[in-house]
Amino acid sequence: MNTPSGASGLVAEGVTISYGAVPVVRDVSLRIPDGGFTMIIGPNGCGKSTMIKAFARGLRPAGGRVMLHGRDIWSYRGREAARRVALLPQNPIAPDGISVRGLLRRGRYPHHTLLRQWSPDDDAAIGFALERTGLNDLAEAQVGELSGGQRQRAWIAMVLAQQTDLLLLDEPTTFLDIAHQYELLELCRELRDEGKTIVAVLHDLNQACRYATHLVAMRAGRIVAEGAPAEIVTPALVEEVFDLRCEIVPDPQTGTPMVVPEDRRRAAAAT
Amino acid sequence: MTPIRAVSPRGVVTFGRAVAIPVGRASVVVVIVTVALIVVAAVATLSLGRLGIPLADLPGAVFGGAEGKEAFVLERLRGPRLAVAVGTGAALGLSGALFQTVTRNPLGSPDVIGLSAGAGAGAAVVALFLPGVLPVPVGALVGAVGAMALLYVSTGTGFRNPGRLIVAGIGVTAVSTAFTQYVVYAVERDRATALTAYLNGSLAARSWEHAATIWAVLLVVAPLVVLVAGRLVIGEMGDEVAAALGAEPARTRAVSVVLSVVLSAGAVSVAGPVAFIALTAPQIARRLTGGPGPHLVSAALVGALLLVLADLAAQQSPVPGNLPVGIYTLAVGGLYLGYLLTREWRKGSL
Amino acid sequence: MVTGTGTPPREAGAKRPGPTRRPSFPLIGLIGLVAVVVLGLAVFASVAFGSRPTSISEVLAVLNGTADPGVATVVESRYPRTALGVFAGLCLAVAGTLMQGVTRNPLADPGLLGITSGAAAGIVTATAFLGASGQWAGVWWALAGALLAGLLVHVIGAAGSGAGLVRLVLAGAVVSAVLTAYVQAVTLGKPRVFDSYRYWVVGALGGRDFDVLGAVLPPAVLGLLVAVLLSPALNTLALGDESASALGANPALTRTGGLVAAVLLSTAATAAVGPIAFVGLAVPHIVRALVGVDFRLRIVFSAVVGPALLLLADVVGRLVLRPQELMVGVVTAFVGAPALLLAVRRMKGAS
Repeated sequence: MNTPSGASGLVAEGVTISYGAVPVVRDVSLRIPDGGFTMIIGPNGCGKSTMIKAFARGLRPAGGRVMLHGRDIWSYRGREAARRVALLPQNPIAPDGISVRGLLRRGRYPHHTLLRQWSPDDDAAIGFALERTGLNDLAEAQVGELSGGQRQRAWIAMVLAQQTDLLLLDEPTTFLDIAHQYELLELCRELRDEGKTIVAVLHDLNQACRYATHLVAMRAGRIVAEGAPAEIVTPALVEEVFDLRCEIVPDPQTGTPMVVPEDRRRAAAAT
Repeated sequence: MTPIRAVSPRGVVTFGRAVAIPVGRASVVVVIVTVALIVVAAVATLSLGRLGIPLADLPGAVFGGAEGKEAFVLERLRGPRLAVAVGTGAALGLSGALFQTVTRNPLGSPDVIGLSAGAGAGAAVVALFLPGVLPVPVGALVGAVGAMALLYVSTGTGFRNPGRLIVAGIGVTAVSTAFTQYVVYAVERDRATALTAYLNGSLAARSWEHAATIWAVLLVVAPLVVLVAGRLVIGEMGDEVAAALGAEPARTRAVSVVLSVVLSAGAVSVAGPVAFIALTAPQIARRLTGGPGPHLVSAALVGALLLVLADLAAQQSPVPGNLPVGIYTLAVGGLYLGYLLTREWRKGSL
Repeated sequence: MVTGTGTPPREAGAKRPGPTRRPSFPLIGLIGLVAVVVLGLAVFASVAFGSRPTSISEVLAVLNGTADPGVATVVESRYPRTALGVFAGLCLAVAGTLMQGVTRNPLADPGLLGITSGAAAGIVTATAFLGASGQWAGVWWALAGALLAGLLVHVIGAAGSGAGLVRLVLAGAVVSAVLTAYVQAVTLGKPRVFDSYRYWVVGALGGRDFDVLGAVLPPAVLGLLVAVLLSPALNTLALGDESASALGANPALTRTGGLVAAVLLSTAATAAVGPIAFVGLAVPHIVRALVGVDFRLRIVFSAVVGPALLLLADVVGRLVLRPQELMVGVVTAFVGAPALLLAVRRMKGAS
């Protein structure tokens, strides 16, 4: 939308973040490729969600900086940053009695001012978001009464209504069944093809390998490896990151790496 | 300049190009109806009873100047009392709506975090140690502010954590209540009775100065509430979403709590700690209006209506002894809360 | 919500010694011994110290029956309040432990159950309309009022299953509000009733005799019995309703029984000595820090630590303003509230 040309999107420069005294993210530097679908993977507690929050001004780094288009993200005004980066957290709260359209309207908040709490662009943006997520028929439905898959689509729609170039998704597939997981990932890929830059935290390694254009593997608050999935995903990396012995085979559908965990009993019998 | 007009289907009030504010139709209806009811209750307050100004004479007395007994009733007795009731009710309703929204807790109200109890302890200090030196309401104000300072220090996070706030409120309430009860125990009966009546929240014998105090507080705080209202709405979606939308949740919460406390402290200083208005007015407003959002304007108006009605009951009640209005709000508020509870229970949503 | 969620309780029936915080048996025995000694000292202090000074040797002489009658009267006048202190401390502490076990909320306090306002309404009704006279004649009525209010709160708030806490607190608030309005309305019009109410509501051990104790003993004994019987089931309840059912316990029945016992116990205490804050809140936390999460141990230790704490608070109240007295309810609030506020500062960031 209103991206200053030249400087690239999101960059973490030596970011350190602590809850209390324990650093969760240690001196991480990461450049999010513009126009890519970046996925951050790693075991529980490795700091991947923390990184996503830092990219969306949810947490202020104790050390280092997060740069947005060449400026420290904390030097922006709140709504200014929110017109450039959108975040869908793990457990967003839908206010009681809100409709899908009402939720999307709240996504327009960064585009409003004190006196202009509505703009003609709102309808276009909300219409687009409903269309892309297939929620046109449910626009007036209560968010609280939607199914899990529909609700997650409504939240994605809210983030889309925000009309940012950058979308950050924190474990967007966690509460979805497997069909809805793939539906959501396909949607993300289409959005990326249309020019958005997407960053997601994901638990499923095979899904990440299939959809990511850029994969970031974290462990214990540091980045272990990053790059295209085909280049970096090896048995050695999976063992280093997840403590899991495995075999890597090509995905029969896409040819991307697919992780097949080792069967322990068979491995034991072989030795 | 384009005049104010409503873009009908979306209900957006615009004023030229600079202003565009969406207004829900339900909110407009609730506001109009509540204002009308306040007017009706106000007329009843002025005209009912032995001292009441007959309905036929009321317009003349209000707009044309009153004489004799009517002037006394209007200008000394019921007029200022009514103005205090409307202002205090509105302040409490607004205060409760702010607090419930930021704590995301339907039980959240300044009473719950110990403000009323602190005010009571402040009043008790004055009654015990400084009788005649300071007016009791000043003691209440100091007590309320002191309770807030204690909360601020003990939560350590500038009112940013709702859970801590409510737990700390339990502590502040307990120590304040214990102290107040000790004072009520220790002083002689007449002073204990007067103090207890005040601590229930009373509108008896209020002057125009009381009215000016609470309305001044409202006029100062209301514009600041308008400034945070937009962010407050976004804050309903949780801190992470709010931060990502640029609504600065932590700062918004701190500012809102301070504004809520100022409103409540103002109300306490003119009327004593009137129970339950701050708790129930936002709930009623929310149910009347429907949908999400803090419904700040409706909550303020419902608060004003509730207090005017309660005071009407207090003035016209057949019960001897002129009970303070706070006893009525306590009883009715309690019953209303019970009604809510059983209804939600039937719906199985609690 | 509050400090120290602690380690999860050990699964019932698990044989292997899991990594729990429960201290070893000799250590528990030692802690128990110390607690009993502290209680003994507290009882002695309660008999020995008062607004009128009595020396240790005088007190010992009274206990041997060799003192002069004047001193004996002074010291013996402290027996009822000491007994009441032991009784109320025990009741409140065990009730608090039960509440925290039943609701799984570390802040559950018997005061939330509408018991205080019920007892107050009972006293006020008796003195205002039924001609009860004398400062403490209302104890039977307080007992009845508190029981009725407690059961009412329970019926509104805890019927059915599931997350009962919010509903229970709401129900407590409702019943308290209506009863308090009633109490205030009656007392403000009748000076004599107001007096008996304000002397009761401050919460004090002094000025009562053994008759009071006799009146409140039956419900307390019943409540204590239920508490002891329920304590193994409470251990399973701590694992959550589903796990408790899977282990063969009946969560709904356990919860109901626990709440009824808590109501009986705190009603007995409140009717006898008035509302006393924080004993029911603080003792369960202290006890859990001492002996771990096993409810069988926690209930036994509450019954020792509660009386010790309440008696010590009462002794402090007698000494700080000598020759006047500070009521024990005021002392516990002034000690307990700062402790709670300090604990708040250490709370986790969760909201």
